[in-house]
Amino acid sequence: METLGPQIIFWAFAALMLGSAFIVVHGKNLVRSAFSLLATFFSAAVFYVMLGADFLAGVQLLVYVGGILTLLVFGVMLTNRIYNLNLETQTFQVLPGALVSLAVFVILTTVVVRTPWSQSALIEDGPTTPIIGRALMTEYVLPFEIASVLLLVALLGAAMLVRRRTDL
Amino acid sequence: MERLDTISSLQYFVPEIVLVFTLMAVLVCDLVSKNRAPRERRLLIVIPSLIGLVVALSYSLQGSEAVSAGLFHNMVAFDGFGQMLRVIFIVTSIFVLLFTLHSNELRLVHHGELLVLLLTVTVALIWMANSINLLMIYLALETVSVASYVMVGYLKTDRLSNEASLKYILFGAVSTGTMLFGLSLLYGLTGSLDLFEIRSALSSQEVVASSGPALMVILVLVLAGIGFKMATVPFHFWCPDVYTGAPTPVTAFLSVGPKVAGFAVLIRFFYGGLASPSEDGASWAMVGSVDWQTMLMGISVITMTLGNVGALLQTNMKRLLAYSSIAHAGYIMMGAVVLSGEGIQAMLAYMIIYLFMNLGAFLVVIVVHNDVGSFDIKDYAGIWRRAPLLTIGMGILLFSLMGIPPFAGFLAKWYIFSVVIDAGLGWFAVIGGLNSAIGAFYYLKILKTMFIDGSDTPEPSTPLALQPLYAGLLLVLIVPNIIGLLLWGYLDRVTEFSQKLLDAM
Repeated sequence: METLGPQIIFWAFAALMLGSAFIVVHGKNLVRSAFSLLATFFSAAVFYVMLGADFLAGVQLLVYVGGILTLLVFGVMLTNRIYNLNLETQTFQVLPGALVSLAVFVILTTVVVRTPWSQSALIEDGPTTPIIGRALMTEYVLPFEIASVLLLVALLGAAMLVRRRTDL
Repeated sequence: MERLDTISSLQYFVPEIVLVFTLMAVLVCDLVSKNRAPRERRLLIVIPSLIGLVVALSYSLQGSEAVSAGLFHNMVAFDGFGQMLRVIFIVTSIFVLLFTLHSNELRLVHHGELLVLLLTVTVALIWMANSINLLMIYLALETVSVASYVMVGYLKTDRLSNEASLKYILFGAVSTGTMLFGLSLLYGLTGSLDLFEIRSALSSQEVVASSGPALMVILVLVLAGIGFKMATVPFHFWCPDVYTGAPTPVTAFLSVGPKVAGFAVLIRFFYGGLASPSEDGASWAMVGSVDWQTMLMGISVITMTLGNVGALLQTNMKRLLAYSSIAHAGYIMMGAVVLSGEGIQAMLAYMIIYLFMNLGAFLVVIVVHNDVGSFDIKDYAGIWRRAPLLTIGMGILLFSLMGIPPFAGFLAKWYIFSVVIDAGLGWFAVIGGLNSAIGAFYYLKILKTMFIDGSDTPEPSTPLALQPLYAGLLLVLIVPNIIGLLLWGYLDRVTEFSQKLLDAM
């Protein structure tokens, strides 16, 4: 990133992402947490765009923001008991928790900064959808099919767990 | 290893395809038989599942030609090691399917869904054990996990089952998430998802010199995911609670299937990605800058010790067997430490014998629960007078788990200890031996309860109800433990064959 513009965008959205993620975790109100999650997901989509991954950014918006999050917000809104519920969260063992988090943070940051990560060759900007589509149908066809088995079993499990009790 | 494209891979992939079609067929059978009588409906569900499993098994037994190939552009491996594991998973699945038929705990509601889940886990275990690509490892592991969560929570009105399922999901989500983070770092370090390309990337001098801390972090993170499946310390916390809460047939399955698959992933990941085979393929040398051999050794020692010590205090049969399975994971891990083909053979032999003795022990638990309605060890008192043959059978299984000659469990332990001693790690074998001694204590405690306790009360001794199906299954599971000595030569040949084909990796 030679110019200043992308730098500013990156840091602005990084701050937004972290801030909103903080509210998601520490918010006492479910609705507020759900809407903060929207900002977190959206910032991730912005990073995808900046990395030239247009398809991923679109999927991120469609699936997470458009699908999962909307469902979550609807669920919260339609269940009025949850709407008024104040989450009773208590924090235990603040000091050990803080120490462990700090240690993990220091270790990971050191590793990320010090390690010479493998760099792939820069590819020119362009639509990535055809590349991804071709890969999914050729080299990655088996993972693609297995993902469908995973989704099938998730669907089946969810249906089984939410079935009404009289059915048992 | 030959890299095959999609079309030419299919011929080596028949058992998996059969299983996937079976699970879909069973799902449809379950739906269309909705309005039929329960008995008829059950037949319509169980028979297709069994046929599918048996067909898959017969196909897996056929392919003994010495090929070794990377199927679907090096996504999954096809080799002797994988063929062996495939057979182990399908056999386990057939046993567990038969276990579910007369278990009072299950009450056979939604039996079809349980069987679909079982078939899904079986095929996912096969994928997991054969993955040689980081993406495949994660996907297969996740499929196994998701289906297992639901199977554990199958008894919806039972609070213990709900609790077990919730604990399993929470632990599972954290460990697979941790592993995924580790895998992403590994991809960042080496620029590849393929384990063999990762190996060659890690072998280069400049990477070795600069990647020490990163590789260390990666291995710790990845071990969280694999360790969760193997139930090794420190990722074992879920194990006693989940084993206790889950319906016993499901517990029996979890104690064998995912554990064996976890060890298979361990072998594929560490031997395939982080070690290079010697010229003759009989041993491996670590690549990269992290001494993971010592790491695995530490995990093995702590796991077997904690499993055995934890089991001493248990009063619930399922909880006790959970801790015992943790201890056995520690013993199996000993074979992975020595970095030789013999070590892998010893692991395979141990896992095959473990399948029989552990499934057998859980079947006795099911049978006793059907009659007594309890999992407490104290309720096993006086079983000897009500079912002498069953008690003798349990005795053989427990002696085998203990590792007492002449039963098969002894051979398994002896093989793995001797491999470790040959590798010059005598102290390691001594720790294993000491642990077996601790283990003998709690297994004998069960036997004492069954044989001696309650024998002085003049209670009328009605014979214990034992379904003919379960009696037959018990026989099938116990006999290999007795004639282990006679089968030893055969087992040795089979595992040697498997290992030969693995070293093409």
